Amino acid sequence: MSTKTPTKEDILRPTNTFTKKYVALFGVCALVFGAFLVGWLYQLQQGLAVTGLSDWGSGGGVTWGLYIGAFIWWVGIAHGGIILSAAVRLLGMDRYMPVARLAELLTIAGLSAAGFYILVHMGRPDRMVTSVLGHYHITVNNSPLVWDVTVITAYFVLTATYLGLTLRYDISRLRDQLPSFAPEVGGKQLPDVYGLVYDAMTVGYSEKEDEIIERMVWWVALAIIIMAPLLLHGGVIPWLFAVLPNYPGWFGAIQGPQFLTIALTSAISGVILVSYAFRRAYDWDHIITDDIFRGLLLWLGFFSLLFLWLQLQQLTAGSFAPTVDHADATASKFSHPMYIVPILMVLGVLAYIFATTLRPSLFSKKRAIVAGVFVLFATLVEKTYFVISGFWYPTFSIYEGTPGEYFPSAIELMSVFGTIGMVTLIFLVVSKLVPVVELHAVEHLRGDHGHDGDHESAHDAATEPEVEA
Amino acid sequence: MSTDDESFHPLGEEWENDLEAMLDDTEYDSDLGMDMARDAMRVTKGELSEAEFHEKYHEDVMEEFGVDDRPTEEAYEELKAAEEGTFSRVLSTFEGDGEDGRRDVMKKMGAGAAFVGLGAWGTADAGEPEPNVAAQEDDDGEDGIQWGMAIDLERCDGCLSCVTACSQENDLDQGVNWMYVLDYEEPRGGADTSRNRLVRPCQHCTDAPCEKVCPTTARHTRDSDGLVLTDYDVCIGCRYCQVACPYGVNYFQWDEPDASIDEVREHAEQMGAENDHLYDERGRWTDSRAPRGVMSKCTMCPTRQDGFKGDEYVGTTACEEACPPDAIQFGNMNDPDSDPQTYIDNPSRGRALVRMDVSAPSADTLEEQLDGADDDLESVLDASEDLDEEMLRILLAIDIVTEEMGVGDSEYVEYEQNILEIFDVLESHGLDLASEDVLVPLRLADEPGEDDEFDGPSESDAQAALEAYAGSPESNFRLLEDIGTNPNIVYLGNEPGPNAQQVDGPVAYDDVGLTDNRKDVLDEKTVGDAGVSL
Repeated sequence: MSTKTPTKEDILRPTNTFTKKYVALFGVCALVFGAFLVGWLYQLQQGLAVTGLSDWGSGGGVTWGLYIGAFIWWVGIAHGGIILSAAVRLLGMDRYMPVARLAELLTIAGLSAAGFYILVHMGRPDRMVTSVLGHYHITVNNSPLVWDVTVITAYFVLTATYLGLTLRYDISRLRDQLPSFAPEVGGKQLPDVYGLVYDAMTVGYSEKEDEIIERMVWWVALAIIIMAPLLLHGGVIPWLFAVLPNYPGWFGAIQGPQFLTIALTSAISGVILVSYAFRRAYDWDHIITDDIFRGLLLWLGFFSLLFLWLQLQQLTAGSFAPTVDHADATASKFSHPMYIVPILMVLGVLAYIFATTLRPSLFSKKRAIVAGVFVLFATLVEKTYFVISGFWYPTFSIYEGTPGEYFPSAIELMSVFGTIGMVTLIFLVVSKLVPVVELHAVEHLRGDHGHDGDHESAHDAATEPEVEA
Repeated sequence: MSTDDESFHPLGEEWENDLEAMLDDTEYDSDLGMDMARDAMRVTKGELSEAEFHEKYHEDVMEEFGVDDRPTEEAYEELKAAEEGTFSRVLSTFEGDGEDGRRDVMKKMGAGAAFVGLGAWGTADAGEPEPNVAAQEDDDGEDGIQWGMAIDLERCDGCLSCVTACSQENDLDQGVNWMYVLDYEEPRGGADTSRNRLVRPCQHCTDAPCEKVCPTTARHTRDSDGLVLTDYDVCIGCRYCQVACPYGVNYFQWDEPDASIDEVREHAEQMGAENDHLYDERGRWTDSRAPRGVMSKCTMCPTRQDGFKGDEYVGTTACEEACPPDAIQFGNMNDPDSDPQTYIDNPSRGRALVRMDVSAPSADTLEEQLDGADDDLESVLDASEDLDEEMLRILLAIDIVTEEMGVGDSEYVEYEQNILEIFDVLESHGLDLASEDVLVPLRLADEPGEDDEFDGPSESDAQAALEAYAGSPESNFRLLEDIGTNPNIVYLGNEPGPNAQQVDGPVAYDDVGLTDNRKDVLDEKTVGDAGVSL
């Protein structure tokens, strides 16, 4: 624990600094994202033939590949952010308050990346509005893909609302210290661009609303915490696959819980990485404390355990006395590196986290970062394997072209880096605009959170480390 | 099935009100209809006997419809003994002479559907619900078309003519094999009494999973004839249909198709189509190759079915037409007299019919050859060069097992008519084909005992003759039926098992200018194709 006292100035530091490192990172991300956009434009011009995909069956390939794997991955990452933040709000896990907003932003950014993947993956993205919305009232009754679009949209709206509402408190209080930018163009004074954003976000604000907003936020958080696990990553996303009886690797009731655990491991990892980056960049050792990382790592261990446990269920059921198609699908898992390596990586992370609980000195932030990177890599590979292995081992596997061949094209591979760049850019931009650590968190850490006494016990919990070093 | 409301109908008040509204729309008495329906439900519950039901409404029915063809009370009792008492049965008492009569009366009543609807689920023995008769009429009905196929896998010789014809007719890219033919082997051994070959067009499922998952309704079933089509103007190219289809019949248009839209139009003109071979009769772009970025699959030729190529092409497909051994029978699966259904009913007869059409002599030739010959069987067979004993036996056997030869408008009827012409020639030459002297030597009738009368042709002998001649298929199946898609392709022959693996067929795709594995073509455009696979 740091002895420094967190201040308003601390959380305003990102908005008031402009470093070379920032510019460099911004440049690199923009370049990577831009490179992918160029690739996408080429894909739009040429058609999806530029990918490594083909028709499954006689077409000798897989119909969905890395784009869909990465789509699921991003939704999963997006997921945890808001769950973590909602847990702070609902379950009084105030310890994580300093990273709650970063987690919310990760949700917004992750969902943007996922939404972008939907467009990238389509043959005719230009028809998204006319074809999908135009027939929504019919298709929402049947199509799991429409359920996805519905729930993701609802989730995005809820998260944005949640973030918007909580930002009003901070922006109105920190308004004077927030940056402004009012350039003169051709002798003409333009209005403060930042000011316009802040004015819009705090329109009609009065201190009287704080209590009401807090209640609203609580309800939104409740809605999110119910919807996200039960309906989104434990629901419509796995149902895209789990409802199709012709793919033994996909079909069945376990995919909901399995997807959820994978989402949560990747989400917690994402939060660990983002939190670490901000702590390092802005000297926030006393705000995003080691204790937060210890706690996050424990949660990561818990969800990794669930992740592996559900994989074990599938391996057992798929190899004891399986049907012919199921046997092939499971045999592939036992032999394919795209399955084995990720599972071993998660197992390794789990072993490490268990070890830190037995011997706390094994913990270090660097190791926590490695664990996070491992899990993120493993979940991306596992999810991509999940998608493509479905087409490799369908029930009707008579074709010579099954299992089909697939290797992601340069454009598909670029999309992963491109969207990571895009998500980083979102963080870089937003962090210059609004505080990414809640004012509440600073108030809380200083013990002067001017609310009622409800938080006292939580406060005690927050200041005591979860794990004694 | 209990309901909270006061409805007498097991499906509840809302259903009842809907049906009452339907009755109101007809010129007939709604109150009478509702009363009868209410009492009909009582009949099904056993509270009222059918006879009483009959008595109670006789006068009203006479007054309202001017006809009450319902049997008298005694006939009713007989009927009850013979049949389960159900409301639909009660309704059938409006019948005239058989099915058509009943339908006519129903149509005249206009109220028929509502009456029947009210009776749905009403069964006296409270067992399995009886399907709604009105719905049945739609399903199996004479008025609803469901295009489909019977494919005789044991007749298919793997020549790929159908694949080629489909590809040409629809201007498909290389590797886009809407129709696909494959040989396979069963690694653990299997029946070697039959060929292991599968002909795989789209199954045009009644419960098509591709349609169910489509986020846009681009993939849809055409109401008029049950074809499962893709609206190329609506599809967003998400490929979920391709994912959901258990058969792998979909082919995405990954890049610009080889044939331009102008070329397709030009081709349509060459084919003599009145339309551009793009838009179907509803004006939706569902035919020919797909444009870039959307999904395509076998269409079962809507341009033909809509009559744009002329009436003679309705009820045909490019693949069916091209098949040398006539292994594909395309037609209305709802019509028991259609080509596919008659073929499924009696595949040996179907096969024999096809073979006879090729090998039997024409009536004119036969007439010439018979000129001057005696009219006994032996002389006739001696005189005709192309008609031997076996052939005549098969021709007669076809006639014996067929209820009505040469009636109807299916493709097979033409074959039957040719046979009838041959029979005419033989009969007019003086050979009595129904006589003991012909049928007994041809082993199509039993020889009567000394005191017995000749009792005509034996259907079982005829069937046996057909089976001996043309064989009968190993089995009759629909592909992956357990997945619940209700496909409209019925296969005759070996069903591939779960371990079946494709092997080279007698004709390679390359040999006929086709591409088997589309990935080979698509890899050329992949950016940074590593030449490896995960």
